[in-house]
Amino acid sequence: MGSSEEDKGLVAKSLAGDRDAFGVLVERYAQQARRVARAVLGDPDDADDAAQDGFLSALVKLAQYDTRRPFGPWLMRIVANAATDRRRRRNVRQAEPLDPSLVGGGPRPDAVAMRSELGARLRTALGELSERRRTAVVLFDVEGYSHAEIAGILGIPEGTVRSEVFHARRRLRTLLADWKEQVR
Amino acid sequence: MKDSQAFDHRPDPELGAALRAALEPKDDQKVFVARVMAQYESALDRATVPTLDVLASWFRPGIAAAAAALVAGLLFGRAVLTPAPASIDAAMAPLEGPGLAALVTAQDPPDASVVFSSLVEQR
Repeated sequence: MGSSEEDKGLVAKSLAGDRDAFGVLVERYAQQARRVARAVLGDPDDADDAAQDGFLSALVKLAQYDTRRPFGPWLMRIVANAATDRRRRRNVRQAEPLDPSLVGGGPRPDAVAMRSELGARLRTALGELSERRRTAVVLFDVEGYSHAEIAGILGIPEGTVRSEVFHARRRLRTLLADWKEQVR
Repeated sequence: MKDSQAFDHRPDPELGAALRAALEPKDDQKVFVARVMAQYESALDRATVPTLDVLASWFRPGIAAAAAALVAGLLFGRAVLTPAPASIDAAMAPLEGPGLAALVTAQDPPDASVVFSSLVEQR
């Protein structure tokens, strides 16, 4: 991800009609936006649709961006809202079903399959959390946003963000610890 | 991994890495970027053109409706608020009528019914 000053320069160019500058912003934030959207929606295709909606919505609203603030949280708020809107409209399932063969009892998987298993378990666990809770923990532990920034992105008090991250971590860390015990 | 009960203000690298791997898109990022940029012009068009279209669609009917309302209002106001002019010719026109003749030739003050009937005959 680029620096905040670089982002602001790219925003200024984009506002002046520089298509390539906006393209650089999309490149910088594409993976982050897709991960955040997937945290909300679960399904990767729906997440990409939502991330695209978020980028295009940001393009249209670019003049509303306050350049005194960092660009990332502003964009992630739009992406998260786009994902939430999409979930409400389409009633998208919130978690991918866990492959029964991954639950246990099958042959011991190799390293790649084990990573895949952990990913599936984590996605399932995320899907069992509330949308706000899983988005908060992904924004904090994966994307590195501060509690204050996440509060701005999700439109909730900072104390609520701390609580949501705490409860999400407790669930996910337990799952991760159990998985490590299994593969030992 | 850190104590699951602790409130920690720092990101958890191990959990973060595991979640990142679980959520990471599998395909090439360039494909997604190209997909977004393919919608660049149409997104900007959608943001501006519909607004102008809506305003344009409102403009002509709005102006016509406002003009019609203005004319109707003027005509109605003129008809209701302005008293009908009574000319001498109009007042004297029904000379053959019994009401007006009685009014003109009477020695005594006119009876109200006579005055009324003369006005009715004028109409």
